[in-house]
Amino acid sequence: MSRIPVPVAVSVIIPVGQRYSDPRELCADYRAGLRALGRPFEIIFVLDGPRPVFEAGLQQMASHGEQFTVVALTRPFGEATAVMAAFEHASGQVVLTLPAYDQIDGSELPKLVAALGDCDMAIARRWPRTSGSFEKFRRNAFHGLLAWVTGLRFSDLGCGARAFDRRVLEEIQLYGDQHRFLPVLADRKGFRVREVAVRQSPKDRFEGFYEPRVYARAFLDIFTVFFLVRFTKKPLRFFGMIGVCLFAVGALLVAWLVAERLFFGQELTQRPALLLSTLMVVLGLQLFALGLLGELIIFTHAKQIRDYQIDRVIAFEKDDSIPSVRSGS
Amino acid sequence: MNTKPELSVIVPFFNEEANIERMHAAIVDAVEPLGEAFEMVFVDDGSHDHTLERAVDIARRDNRVRVVKFRRNYGQTPAMAAGIQQACGRILITMDGDLQNDPSDIANFLGKIDEGYDIVVGWRFDRQDKLFSRKIPSKIANWLIGKVTGVPIRDNGCSLKAYRASLIKEIPLYSEMHRFIPAMASIAGPRIAEIKVRHHARRFGKSKYGISRVYKVLLDLMVIKTVASFTSRPLLWFSILATPFALIGAAAIAYSMWQLGMTADGIPLPIAGSGVLLLMSGFMLVCGGIFGELIYRFGDVRDLDFSRLTATISGPPERQLAPQGPAR
Repeated sequence: MSRIPVPVAVSVIIPVGQRYSDPRELCADYRAGLRALGRPFEIIFVLDGPRPVFEAGLQQMASHGEQFTVVALTRPFGEATAVMAAFEHASGQVVLTLPAYDQIDGSELPKLVAALGDCDMAIARRWPRTSGSFEKFRRNAFHGLLAWVTGLRFSDLGCGARAFDRRVLEEIQLYGDQHRFLPVLADRKGFRVREVAVRQSPKDRFEGFYEPRVYARAFLDIFTVFFLVRFTKKPLRFFGMIGVCLFAVGALLVAWLVAERLFFGQELTQRPALLLSTLMVVLGLQLFALGLLGELIIFTHAKQIRDYQIDRVIAFEKDDSIPSVRSGS
Repeated sequence: MNTKPELSVIVPFFNEEANIERMHAAIVDAVEPLGEAFEMVFVDDGSHDHTLERAVDIARRDNRVRVVKFRRNYGQTPAMAAGIQQACGRILITMDGDLQNDPSDIANFLGKIDEGYDIVVGWRFDRQDKLFSRKIPSKIANWLIGKVTGVPIRDNGCSLKAYRASLIKEIPLYSEMHRFIPAMASIAGPRIAEIKVRHHARRFGKSKYGISRVYKVLLDLMVIKTVASFTSRPLLWFSILATPFALIGAAAIAYSMWQLGMTADGIPLPIAGSGVLLLMSGFMLVCGGIFGELIYRFGDVRDLDFSRLTATISGPPERQLAPQGPAR
């Protein structure tokens, strides 16, 4: 571990996952952009699991006297965990996460950091973008679905280049693979999030295709975000709604079957539909009960849950006009 | 603030640049003559206009004012909840920032609190709003809230309310619960009084409420009702819910057994199956109740705390009787 002696303004976190390019070229490209910024910066690599090829490159860079911090995780924990692990070592007020492979042009970094002037989080959007038409369709479908679910329109959450105020990571506990959705979660916390168009790196090309597993994963992630955003504090609205619908349909079916038995002599013993309708009643009831339990959890912990984020409290002491400003949440 | 104020006036503002100065002047005019130390907590709920600048100007001139700035617009309940958490007074007064409430009513509220009530709610008996879009829906909603929660208050929507701080700080406020604060508080068993307040038509700015909220109100009402009635004894509540289903299930199983024993048809599969399902479901509900007991035991909201808050101890005069926050 080595550190830059001057106080650091910008901490650059580079999580290294399955995809990475040559660390020397990557680092040179980023460094050129960061120097143009004119503020002291530090670079932290997080190896999400053992990445021998990348590590060898880093070794070589270190032997040439380049300064950076490496945080190595014993096994792959996911990008979000990796970023959080690196964040513990970051000291800059501005945190910049960058992809470990060529996605954007390094010379665009100052633009990204400068955007923080009027927002708390600036996320890069590769534009203009070169990609195949299927790729484009896939991307549009993903962001369209996300916009429909959360009401937030982003156009390139796949881009790992993001600049934010360190308060964002201090307040949001990320885990697993939520890194991609950090902008959504940040918006929920009341941070201002903005997209900034940056030039795409000419080397950013993904050849090959994604496995169905990847699609399933993306879909499940959206569902998780949907639940987090809409219903975490109102579990009964979610479970109760589904539960009551199931229960109602089941109960109507039962009523109909019973009526047929009573007035038309249809023997219930001959009706497998009875089993189906009872199942619906029972499932509806159980879902409703789950919602109630969720509501109980929320209610008994409501004092720790804050629906709001206080930006600051402004008060003036007697006989002076210097505000005592407390920021906090 | 060196000394702890006796009274905190909490006012949320959302895009009220035209009203905030007048509101401040009106509060000062109304409360200063009472001779109590007081503070004002202005909550800026992420306004887009110059409300915050005005509020900071006021705070600069008057150091009894504290301004709480939200990061963005969160709504009235969070604004009230933040104000309540930030306030230091022994008695808290909440009111709207749009001048529709009259600060000169505050004296009456304090009188009621001194009589020993924990919560005093305002009743806009002469409400100055549109009849069809505002007054009639509100009448129906209040009737319903009263029926369901068992706290018959004629005007839940009136923001002008007074609370004993030690009590209201313990009440969980989330979602859109500000309409139901008395109902939520009823789990703590407070003494609630209702007094008539003046209500003015809106003079400046725009109204921010509409009829579309009715659906949300109904859902929240249901949640409060269930939560308030079952939180402290989930196992009992779940068992009651489970009983009819388990009974029907047991009856169906018994009938199937009887069929098996008494007739040559064999066991009637749909009936037996349904019976087993229902019985198991009842069992699962009871298990859910046990989980509920666990959750409740490890939660923060307990009947014991509430009982401490509202207990009346005979002997010392009312002023000293006010509890100084729960022992933890």
